[in-house]
Amino acid sequence: MFRGTDRYPADAYNAKTTEIGADTNAFTSDDLTAYHLSITSNDLETVMDLESDRFQNLAYPEELFRTEAGAVYGEYRKNRTNPFFTLFEATQAAAFDVHTYGHTAMGYEEDIKLMPELFDYSKSFFSRYYRPENIVLMIVGDVDVTKTMDRVKHYYGAWKPGYVPPKIQPEPEQTAERKIEVPYPGQSLPIAMVAYKFPAFDPSDPTILAADILADLYFGETSDLHKKLVLNEQVAEFVAADTPMNRDPNLLSIFSRVKDAEKVDYVLAEIDRTIAQAQTELLDPERIAGVISRIKYGFLMGLDTPSGVASSLVRFIAVTGGVADIETMYTTYGQVTAEHVQAAAKQFLAPERRTVAVLRGNN
Amino acid sequence: MIKQRKTLLGLFLMVLVVCMTACAPANDPAGTAAADASGPEIIRYPVPDDATVSFNVWFKVGSQNDPAGKEGLAALTGSLISDGATANNSYEQILEKLYPIASGYGVRVDKEMTTVQGRTHVDNIDRYFPLYSDAFAAPAFNVDDFERLRSDQLNYLEKTLRYASDEDLGKAALMSHIFAGTPYAHPIQGTVQGLKSITLDDVKAFYQQHYTQANAVIAIGGGFDDALESKLRAAVATLPAGTATTAPAVTPTAIDGRQVMLVDKADADASISFGFPINVPRGTRDFYALWIANSWLGEHRNSSSHLYQVIRETRGMNYGDYSYIEAFPQGGQRQMPPPNVARHSQIFQIWIRTLPNENALFATRAALRELTHLVQQGMSEEAFTLTRSFLRNYHLHFAETTQDRLGYAVDDRFYGIEGDGHLAQFGAMLDSITREDVNAALKRHLQLENIKFAIITGDAEGLRDVMVNDTATPMSYASEKSAEIVAEDKEIEVVPFDVDADDVTVVPVTTIFEQ
Repeated sequence: MFRGTDRYPADAYNAKTTEIGADTNAFTSDDLTAYHLSITSNDLETVMDLESDRFQNLAYPEELFRTEAGAVYGEYRKNRTNPFFTLFEATQAAAFDVHTYGHTAMGYEEDIKLMPELFDYSKSFFSRYYRPENIVLMIVGDVDVTKTMDRVKHYYGAWKPGYVPPKIQPEPEQTAERKIEVPYPGQSLPIAMVAYKFPAFDPSDPTILAADILADLYFGETSDLHKKLVLNEQVAEFVAADTPMNRDPNLLSIFSRVKDAEKVDYVLAEIDRTIAQAQTELLDPERIAGVISRIKYGFLMGLDTPSGVASSLVRFIAVTGGVADIETMYTTYGQVTAEHVQAAAKQFLAPERRTVAVLRGNN
Repeated sequence: MIKQRKTLLGLFLMVLVVCMTACAPANDPAGTAAADASGPEIIRYPVPDDATVSFNVWFKVGSQNDPAGKEGLAALTGSLISDGATANNSYEQILEKLYPIASGYGVRVDKEMTTVQGRTHVDNIDRYFPLYSDAFAAPAFNVDDFERLRSDQLNYLEKTLRYASDEDLGKAALMSHIFAGTPYAHPIQGTVQGLKSITLDDVKAFYQQHYTQANAVIAIGGGFDDALESKLRAAVATLPAGTATTAPAVTPTAIDGRQVMLVDKADADASISFGFPINVPRGTRDFYALWIANSWLGEHRNSSSHLYQVIRETRGMNYGDYSYIEAFPQGGQRQMPPPNVARHSQIFQIWIRTLPNENALFATRAALRELTHLVQQGMSEEAFTLTRSFLRNYHLHFAETTQDRLGYAVDDRFYGIEGDGHLAQFGAMLDSITREDVNAALKRHLQLENIKFAIITGDAEGLRDVMVNDTATPMSYASEKSAEIVAEDKEIEVVPFDVDADDVTVVPVTTIFEQ
């Protein structure tokens, strides 16, 4: 996408964004790709002209595609020295048999190596996905809404629909626990990860949102497990849990970097003991209120710059299709009870739904 | 993202600033300083519409003040302040109290400065402030916290820096190579043996000596009132009066020719940094002139970087290639220059991101060739005009939040920049500096003869042979290149390294930063 169009070849695009001092970049994650430019409001029309052009008329010769494919492999090389990347990559691959979540946003290494050969496929990819009905244009900051919408229609109005939804195979229900050992070529403390299949994001489902509270209160910095393993016994450098916010079912992950290689099984057993506790006890409502307060203030404090607002909203918009469900989500958070948290633990943290992965260094 | 979540990939980093969320945009001029005979200087940066308050207490001490054999002491003291108990709360209690207000505080320890930074929503000031002020004014220095945090810091040096982050390792190796024998040589996190020799009493003594009123500058920004400012002053006033810490001399040995440190790491791709000391303090006219040239050559993580264009964009060799005239820690994670890493000793450096060993020296040669052209020929009128236009807006991104602006105001005091400060001065300098100024500054401050290189590599022997023998390093590509690029490659592949065999040091990764 940085390789230009007939009207603005890559050099011209770069010269223009350079001239206006734009802070430009892009990222790809499981469910979305985002291109972002932080600019002064005076340059908004210039940027709309450039961006509407490249999203509609991207044209690049095969030679440039091959060159860029080399840079992508460079990014993979940079990432793979990170043991978390190695572990995450291996766990996704082990947990998914058919769904595309089986690879990270970077893709499988074999595919990245072959990418220079996939020029035609890249054009087809662009043609299927870079269509107006699959794109949200977000403009945040010092703008006149009416005038800006007029300009949006001017620059983007002629964009032809043609989105072809991908045929992603649904992942079959997992019926048995999976276990993998992940070797890491460098030295590293062991990292243990327990990853459960978890439903697609639904802002109106209190049991799904309850999993966020479950993750924080049983595995976060204020959890009993953190106090035990990290602060008191000091057998783990950290323990944490991450709930997914995806279009399709992905992984709820609990993970810990273990200070003593002999203690990996102990840490895994402690994670299991904590899950059993979550499945049987009811949380103090005051602790749940603390999470709701944290979510509220964390969200508010992140909305302090135009970039902050944009980055706070982009994933939500990509997954739900708009901003309206933000209200739904906060309303639902307010309805989460201790019973929902317990139900989330029972429903989602069942052994047959999980993949247990342990990364060990070459120490 | 809306939901509060941790990012898996972020966790491998040992980041000395903890949980610092971004703050509110500030429209006011740079902070105003008030000298007070009864206590430390205070920098005020009021932003009445800001729903948050930002705090920053700067202590004039850093890793350069680590005692010999106790490298890592300044950083460990900082960690105990940010991630340990206080006289009034256990660390568990602190985490529990900070949790519902989604706030935190952190300590950034750099070579010469330590800043204790915090931010919270105005609704929560009364709950937050005692926790923040206790952190630096009443740390408990518990033995359990000490053991935990020293172990984490050791893990960072022994595992993460050596094995999980070759680009950071390359930069740390270059610093140790250029500043060998000075207090700048070791990583801020210390050395393995230095950390192992540190006792809790060392930490307490370091704190007593350096966390004093004489070393403190107070900064407050955002939606604060007089009462809160007074509380902050009062908290700092509980510290011992103390005496100002003396900065040790940091004079790197003059580089004689081209000198290479190869860090031998099995199976590693190549991560490359090279450079040399420069003496162009922030605030001086030459600094801004050199900034313009450097921005053209290698603006950090920006496709406008010429090195990026030559190595990544045209040739697809790696993920990016940049250059610097000031320290830029955490370059892999940050887009804009970080505040509060101000240093009196700076280097010019080029960073070539990870790439296959077989291409490493071609990329290094390409970068050397571009640097040579820039120094010898200067900036063209076109490049100068474009880069000046770029920086006029781009520098506005450097500090978009109150917290960052407060950090820049602190740095202005460090560098002795009067008036409206560095960021305001930046725009004015862009208007007055000419291409001739830039090209004269390039000649005065950059050079090609005396350079140190640090390369993390799985092929130390191969790279050494090529550099010492100046063997040609022809490039091949997955696609056909234009005649112009092919011709340019012919020149690049034989750019001389001019390295003597005696000037190549090979360091096993297992021993780097051991002591």
